[in-house]
Amino acid sequence: MSIVVKNVSKRFGNFAAVDDVNLEVPNGSLLALLGPSGSGKTTLLRIIAGLELADQGTVIHHEEDVTAYSPRDRKVGFVFQHYALFRHMTIEDNIGYGLRVRGVPKAERAERVNELLKLIRLENFGKRYPSQLSGGQRQRVALARALAARPAVLLLDEPFGALDAKVRQELRQWLRRLHEEIHVTSVFVTHDQEEAFEVADHVVVMNRGRIEQVGTPAEVFEHPANAFVMDFLGNVNVFPGKVEQGKVVARGMEVAYPAYPHAEAREAEVYVRPHELVLERRSEVPAPLIAKVVHVNPAGPRTKVELRAEASEQMIVAELSNERLAELSLAPGDTVYVSARKARVFMREETA
Amino acid sequence: MQSEVAAGIPAPQRTSKAYAPVRRAQEDPAWVRWGLTGFSLFAVGVIVVIPIANVFAGALTEGIGTYWKNLIADPDTLHSIYLTLTVVPIALVANIVFGVASAWAISRFSFPGRTLLVALIDLPFSVSPVVAGLMFVLIFGLQGYFGPFLRRDGYSVMPYLVALVVVLALAVLYVLLRPSNSQARRGFWRLHPAIALVGGGVVTFAVLVLAQQALGVWPQNESLKIIFATPGLVLATSFVTFPFVARELIPVMDAIGPDEELAALSLGANGWQMFWHITVPNVKWGLAYGIILCNARAMGEFGAVYVVSGHIAGETDTMPLRIEKLFQEYNMPGSFAVASLLTLVAILTLFVKSKLEKHLPTATSRGETEP
Repeated sequence: MSIVVKNVSKRFGNFAAVDDVNLEVPNGSLLALLGPSGSGKTTLLRIIAGLELADQGTVIHHEEDVTAYSPRDRKVGFVFQHYALFRHMTIEDNIGYGLRVRGVPKAERAERVNELLKLIRLENFGKRYPSQLSGGQRQRVALARALAARPAVLLLDEPFGALDAKVRQELRQWLRRLHEEIHVTSVFVTHDQEEAFEVADHVVVMNRGRIEQVGTPAEVFEHPANAFVMDFLGNVNVFPGKVEQGKVVARGMEVAYPAYPHAEAREAEVYVRPHELVLERRSEVPAPLIAKVVHVNPAGPRTKVELRAEASEQMIVAELSNERLAELSLAPGDTVYVSARKARVFMREETA
Repeated sequence: MQSEVAAGIPAPQRTSKAYAPVRRAQEDPAWVRWGLTGFSLFAVGVIVVIPIANVFAGALTEGIGTYWKNLIADPDTLHSIYLTLTVVPIALVANIVFGVASAWAISRFSFPGRTLLVALIDLPFSVSPVVAGLMFVLIFGLQGYFGPFLRRDGYSVMPYLVALVVVLALAVLYVLLRPSNSQARRGFWRLHPAIALVGGGVVTFAVLVLAQQALGVWPQNESLKIIFATPGLVLATSFVTFPFVARELIPVMDAIGPDEELAALSLGANGWQMFWHITVPNVKWGLAYGIILCNARAMGEFGAVYVVSGHIAGETDTMPLRIEKLFQEYNMPGSFAVASLLTLVAILTLFVKSKLEKHLPTATSRGETEP
């Protein structure tokens, strides 16, 4: 294990930013800490880097307890959201700084700097200053600077947060490829689930200072551990209902739930993603969920259909392929029958 | 031209009225504009420009030759210039050290009493300089708390003072340079920090004190004059100019933020390297600005210095005091000659200040600005 975090807690006044967190980061993996703002993901990253000290708990890097170490002794590379490039130094000096303070001879330093400039594809920018570079270029320089001293661990705090959509997309793919090339254990923080799924091979979902779920992107997306994870990872329709005898009935939708075979009815919620909803003109179900089309939004390869449930007035969002939409030829005001191809049930106690 | 800029849109239709000046909503009538501008110019002229011009006119009434003679022929005047040039740099260095340390503490840490410290830094601004001078007379003067002791054997305190300053500086260095990784520690740093600090501190202190006493560095059984002497002038000047450097640095350091310093630490810099490589280059313009203002105030300081100096011509008269004395002696050209020097310093300060203001970061330019 590259990084092991054991029972780490950190409070700011009365606010528990990180609450008894345990985490293991395997060697060579690229892990994303994903969560809404205030979930403690950045604080956890800074504790791993040593920029913040945990109130309690242990941080271990490569079998060495570094809890009491200052950042400079942890051999980490840290990339800040707002780059934090040294504004009075050239790009070369920025990248070479980590080597300079470690006393690497000038010639060797220059060689490594050139190597890194090539890696970030900014060979001709060495003599420029950070203010003369674009946001994406600056972030690449920040990454090269963090990598210069060959850190054992690379930590990135919302690395693409301050960039515009197109540059962000490019840099994500570039980071992915870079990681495959150099294979340094990396942890990055993001609030963008799309980004986490695209770049990371492991995703850690955090909420209110605690870890909700750890897994590969597919595991987390397909088998969310709880309602929060389900809700956080993209759009979802929630149908409140009752569970009894292994079956949930929620507003005309019926889902099997063998985990609760008892006769006593309890409250549960059915979560269905927009693309898992099926819209039909006819229905054989005895008491189907009937909804009226409110709005059809054919943007991109898939079409979003907004519906209003007839009985409960609940707004529902469904996503169809354009072919299916053509088949149904939906228009606002049409009545359709809604069912789910796939649904997840979370009992009320779990969601609380 | 003005009409096009003001309108902000291409000229609508080229009728005969197309070039009529466009009046904007916030534009006041002509008499208000001319009235306000005229009044400002008049006030600046009467209160600032004419008196300053008069200083130079007064200094040069009897020609350049006399002006020059007034400055260098009188040994007392010459000594006052020399004394100002001694006192001011010492006060500046003291205030730079204090200003950087307190600005660092205030902008980088949050601790109980932080707001109180910010308020206390400003205190010398609101205390009358005369009161400031009196405070020092009450403490160090002949009838003051330390007066009798200082008169009897004042220098006996010096070995302790010097040793204390050296030990504190060494302790700061020890903490700054101490590797947190136990394997990277060598020599002194392998000891427990408390033992190293207390033990090392006591031993160094004792060695320094005994060495100074044995070598007789300081005179014995002699009176150490603080009031009516240079040390008092330095103390009074430092007190009055105390807030300048810190007050200029705090907003600059707030605007720059701690990210670059943290980046340096994560790249392997120690506290010392971080300070000199990152912090100092980032705040140098703010620091220079503070020093310039501090210097101008220190050179011109009159009230506090007046009280502690005792007005001994050729001994404790600084330039402002000398100006006043020459004036009282009806030596107008001499008085104006020295005054013109201080005025020149002021004009120079103004010039440098306006040059420096361009380099100061504002709250909005956090991080690098786009080219």
